[in-house]
Amino acid sequence: MFDLVLQSVASGVVTGCVYALIALSMVIVYKSTDVINFAGGEIVMVGGYLGLLGLSYLKLPYTLVFLFGAIITFTLGALFDRVVLTKVLGRAVPGQSIMVAMVIATVGLSYVLKGTVRLFPYAEDVRRLPPFIAGDPVFMGAIVLQRQDIAIVAISTLAMLALWAFFSRTMTGKALRATSQNARAAALIGIPVRHMRMAVWGIASALAAVAGILLASKLAMTPDMGVIVILAFAAAAIGGFSSLPGCIVGGIILGVMQNLVGLFLSSRAISVAPFLVIMLILTLRPQGLFGGPVVDKKV
Amino acid sequence: MKFNRWRAAILASLALCAFQPGVGLAAEPGVTDTEITIGLFGPMSGQLASFGFDPVQAAKMWYEEVNKKGGINGRKIKVLIEDDKCSPTEVVSVVKKYATVDNTFIVHGGSCTAAAVAAQEFVTREKIPMVMLNAAGDGAVIPPTRYVFGAFGGTQRAVGATIMEFAIKELKGKKIAYIAHDDDFGNSNWATAKAVAERMGAQVVAVERISPRITDVTAPMLKVRAANPDVIVSTAYPAQTVLIAQKYAEFGMTKTPLVVAVQGVPVPSVFAKNVDNDAALVNFYYGSPLNDLTDGPKQQKWISLYKQYYPDRTPGAFMTYGLPSAMAITRALEKAGRDLTREKFITALETVDFDSEVLAGPIAFSATRRDGHRASVFVKFDGKTHKLMPGVYSWNGKDGM
Repeated sequence: MFDLVLQSVASGVVTGCVYALIALSMVIVYKSTDVINFAGGEIVMVGGYLGLLGLSYLKLPYTLVFLFGAIITFTLGALFDRVVLTKVLGRAVPGQSIMVAMVIATVGLSYVLKGTVRLFPYAEDVRRLPPFIAGDPVFMGAIVLQRQDIAIVAISTLAMLALWAFFSRTMTGKALRATSQNARAAALIGIPVRHMRMAVWGIASALAAVAGILLASKLAMTPDMGVIVILAFAAAAIGGFSSLPGCIVGGIILGVMQNLVGLFLSSRAISVAPFLVIMLILTLRPQGLFGGPVVDKKV
Repeated sequence: MKFNRWRAAILASLALCAFQPGVGLAAEPGVTDTEITIGLFGPMSGQLASFGFDPVQAAKMWYEEVNKKGGINGRKIKVLIEDDKCSPTEVVSVVKKYATVDNTFIVHGGSCTAAAVAAQEFVTREKIPMVMLNAAGDGAVIPPTRYVFGAFGGTQRAVGATIMEFAIKELKGKKIAYIAHDDDFGNSNWATAKAVAERMGAQVVAVERISPRITDVTAPMLKVRAANPDVIVSTAYPAQTVLIAQKYAEFGMTKTPLVVAVQGVPVPSVFAKNVDNDAALVNFYYGSPLNDLTDGPKQQKWISLYKQYYPDRTPGAFMTYGLPSAMAITRALEKAGRDLTREKFITALETVDFDSEVLAGPIAFSATRRDGHRASVFVKFDGKTHKLMPGVYSWNGKDGM
């Protein structure tokens, strides 16, 4: 039984790393703009299909495919902020919350992306990207992992480290953090808040695309794969919507928990577990495991 | 006197109308002296178009073939085509349009179960015969209702019963692991599979019911491995079947045969590419309701005919699935005779029993049976070659009911 648990934990960590990446892309947007991005899952899906386009049709090497997907989705995210969200914000009525309109705009984006992908004939069949590292599985005692799985963990970790370095070591990253903490104060010291918002949407979308390419090499790909976003919500809820390290830990906890629930309770309970976790966390510790106390932002 | 003249004129006009061929007061909708109008539909666009586009075209081709041979009882078949996108709301709209605007004699269509089920209430209320195109449609045909006929590709009950019988008879399975979704499809195929296993004395050592949205099948596959079965059966959908096959190879279970249902491998070549692991396909089988491989000699007859009709189109894997329902309809129309009514058509369809030369088993309906086809064959597939396994497996209509 111990072997089964070890294997479940190892596989859960791999899947959890991808959940964490998607959750990160959501949390970055939320922290900076207060908007929950309901199109996050569809941007992941678009990333997967861009990977397919890059590999199968443009014949790009895998390294460039990540770059290709990231650049296109960066542009998509930044444009969405510039063309849609900024306009929505600009039409805000004083005294009324603009959040509902902005969230609905992200829901609209999700439908536009799904519908657009469906227009292409190769979205008719279930597809999967080839593994970026092929070869025999790696045995570590009782645990067996595909080389691909190890690469997924490595790339996810690299992406997370790069994000951490960007936010804590670069001026742009620090400006983004300042904008997310207090946009008006950031504007007063000369930070171009509008550009910062665009950059946040761009970075978050690029991260989601990387997650999509990783996911599409592990899972089968369909235009409906964006529903995975609910798992990212669960990961962010576990870790805390305001904590970047929290959603990484949250993603991994979720991946492992799903497998252990499947192993000890029932396979049927696997898909229910994340929803139960969201409800439990919101009831018992709304700020998540790593989030700070829930406070209103002051200007 | 004046009043009586008017009354006589009206009566005379009505009498003339009544004796006018095909325009009588009691004329059946969609039937004239020279034509029978059929409302054909299926997913012609969108994500599920591959399930419907070619089957719809194939059904139309069959009707045109019948017309070429002189039609049925002196009437030609006129076919209208609509796109339902496999959406339940679209199907209901299409069926309502056929019934109220186009006045078709019957409606013929539906490639997706949920969509076909959605139209059931309307056609039953309006007493319009509906013959499904190629949807499994357990919910629409079991329990039987008077106006809906279908399941030409076989219901999920037939899928469950036949896959289990194959695992026990051909693969000598005594300890079976069964993987199915936790939805209506899964409930239907597991009900009959379980009953067949009990009847044939096999032990089901693991039953894993998984969500159609599952992203990691590690836990269910570890439990399957721990149960040490001698055959693994899966009735999962395409995306999840890929995950199952990958874990099956990853966990070193490839000495145990893996048998998957037709819905898991809609296009075998795409499936093999997605799995991308030769080891996963060493001991691999998939089910099919057809009488041969999709490009086998028995299917070639239909593929050639299709190419004559549509020279610019290469038929997809589901093309021939559209033929049997059209064949059943034309047979029933013939049996119903020249004095055609919807009720006579239904009575005639209830007596249909024939070999379509497309499907593995006969197509038969009765007063208490609305699922037309109950048989499957199985194919061994190693990623490149397909080998048809001996035997045709049929659900007896009793197991699991």
